[in-house]
Amino acid sequence: MKTEQPAILSGKPAATGIGIGNAWILEKESHTVKPVKIREDEVEEHQKKFLTAKEVVEQSYEKLKSIPDDYDALEIIDAQIQTLNDPEVFKSVNAKIADEKYAVDYAIFSTFNEYIQLLEKSDVTWANERTIDIAAIRDELIQATQKDKKGLTVKEGEIVFAEEIPPTVMVELSKIKIAGIVMEKGGFTSHAVILSQSLGIPCVINVNWKKGKLKNGKSAIIDGSTGQVILNPSWKQTQEYKKREEDEVARFQKGLKWAQKPNQTACGSGFTLRANVEFLEELPRLKTHGAQGVGLLRTETILFEVHEFDVDDQIQFYSEVLEAAGGESVTIRLFDAGGDKLLDESGQEANPFLGWRGIRMLLDKKSLFKKQLEAIYRVSGQYKGQVKILIPMVSVLDEILEVKALCELVNKSLSAREIEFDEDLQIGVMVEVPSIALMAKQIAKHVDFFSIGTNDLTQYTLAVDRGNEKISNLFDSFHPAIWKLIKMSKDAADKEGITVAVCGEMASKPEAAACLLGMGITDLSMNAGSLPIVKSVLCTHKLDEMKELSSEVLKADDTEKVHKLLESWRAV
Amino acid sequence: MVSQKVTVKNEAGLHARPASALVKVASRYESEFFIKMYGYKVNGKSILGVMTLAAESGAEMELILDGPDEKEALDVLVKLFENKFDLNAE
Repeated sequence: MKTEQPAILSGKPAATGIGIGNAWILEKESHTVKPVKIREDEVEEHQKKFLTAKEVVEQSYEKLKSIPDDYDALEIIDAQIQTLNDPEVFKSVNAKIADEKYAVDYAIFSTFNEYIQLLEKSDVTWANERTIDIAAIRDELIQATQKDKKGLTVKEGEIVFAEEIPPTVMVELSKIKIAGIVMEKGGFTSHAVILSQSLGIPCVINVNWKKGKLKNGKSAIIDGSTGQVILNPSWKQTQEYKKREEDEVARFQKGLKWAQKPNQTACGSGFTLRANVEFLEELPRLKTHGAQGVGLLRTETILFEVHEFDVDDQIQFYSEVLEAAGGESVTIRLFDAGGDKLLDESGQEANPFLGWRGIRMLLDKKSLFKKQLEAIYRVSGQYKGQVKILIPMVSVLDEILEVKALCELVNKSLSAREIEFDEDLQIGVMVEVPSIALMAKQIAKHVDFFSIGTNDLTQYTLAVDRGNEKISNLFDSFHPAIWKLIKMSKDAADKEGITVAVCGEMASKPEAAACLLGMGITDLSMNAGSLPIVKSVLCTHKLDEMKELSSEVLKADDTEKVHKLLESWRAV
Repeated sequence: MVSQKVTVKNEAGLHARPASALVKVASRYESEFFIKMYGYKVNGKSILGVMTLAAESGAEMELILDGPDEKEALDVLVKLFENKFDLNAE
């Protein structure tokens, strides 16, 4: 038998961890429902079938509710149950069965489709978006009317490959100890992703796995930290990942013990570790994983969930995060939409990552922008000295000046209304476009701090689209150019007396974190899951060792050399 | 039968969450509840019906109630519009 070549697919990392196992494909139910007519004497039977299906689906949603710590999901579930019990749906389905003599599945199908079409035609974005949830109910009801409903045949230790995973299926899956989830669709806020994070199931989304001829039972590896999926891995690759998995588990256990200790290197030098946060569900981990506040609060998600959300919604979100930060600071990054996170209205751009995103979009959408600023400033009045603003995707100084002018406008309007806010609120800039790193000296005069976003800095410096799998081998944050730009930023910041933090994925790799600390960057922010491991490494090494490492790294000629330096450093 | 004109006051309009709140409250009453807007008339106890209105902030609509508890229900529903669909402000 010819052995198949390993194939590497890349997607977006959605829940960390490594999974090794056989592939199990979640087949999409075919919902080809035909307008089948029934006889008069079958009407009652079909109406009963509808009632039973409604009960079955409602029960499955009620069961979903028992999964804890998931407020957003709970609200979605409640809305779904409300839709199930919609009196007009009930009337329409029964009328289609009794008057038009349609079979129950078609009656359900056409009833829901009438609403879906109306909502799809609407100019209002939230209305269009709801159609996904309504179609899900439609399909679940239809499935429930079909007798031979197949159960899930997935076994413990397998990796699930799906187009997307409906909430009810996700609950079934959570009872089986699966090794990972690979989805073609899905967003970071989808129920499946949130649940895999809280259950610790590695998950990668936006993977185009269907183009390879994947079959059930084929071996696969999923890396939820990098977003890589390997099909038919070689023996060597499997061994490598097994080792990494073991290492990760061992280090994580060791690290959790470190989480509660003071942030000090072996020689007593201090540092600060914070968490990157996007969902409220992540907040409980701040404490257990030893985060000193939030170094990067992503706010796009709330923008996507409630398109035209108002100031109060935002205030509530920010306040909850600040409460969880327990007196530590929270750096709120302004909406960073665009790029791979396109708003519907922005349409298709030829080069989205070089396009209308981050601050570029915000400055064109002033009313949205002012709402966010107002919400942030109002929260800052309650948590003085704790709130910071971070501007994303800045490429020229003018953008910073424009943001500051807007902040002043908002402040004036708050003062006029006698609403309290933090007058010394710090405003910083993301260093993620090389022009900012190169001009760091000039930029530093106008901001209170830098926060280096290593993922985008890598993408823009190396001209590598981080979503393009054909060139994914070129995407490497350890390229010497990135280290040089970080160093330049740090030096410029020191001259102007402002602080520098790193909030990119780079900081979550212990050796890289040590190297950053060696460069004098003592403020690191990363996903909470990585905190204990990073901390354990930083606490068990001396600052001198880290300084030596960073000076070696800064001298390296190529990426490979950097990797070797970092690898051998940890081995010592 | 009683009726009253109301305006959607919350910034985001009558989106999924407020629509859900409206239906939840309306369903507590026995009276029939209809919403009339731009010549459309939908069952106010139907979440899908209310959502298809896709009412944005500032939209005007007429609430029509018919049944034994119509007056009480109308009062509560009008108040819900005024409170921008905040269920806690009930």
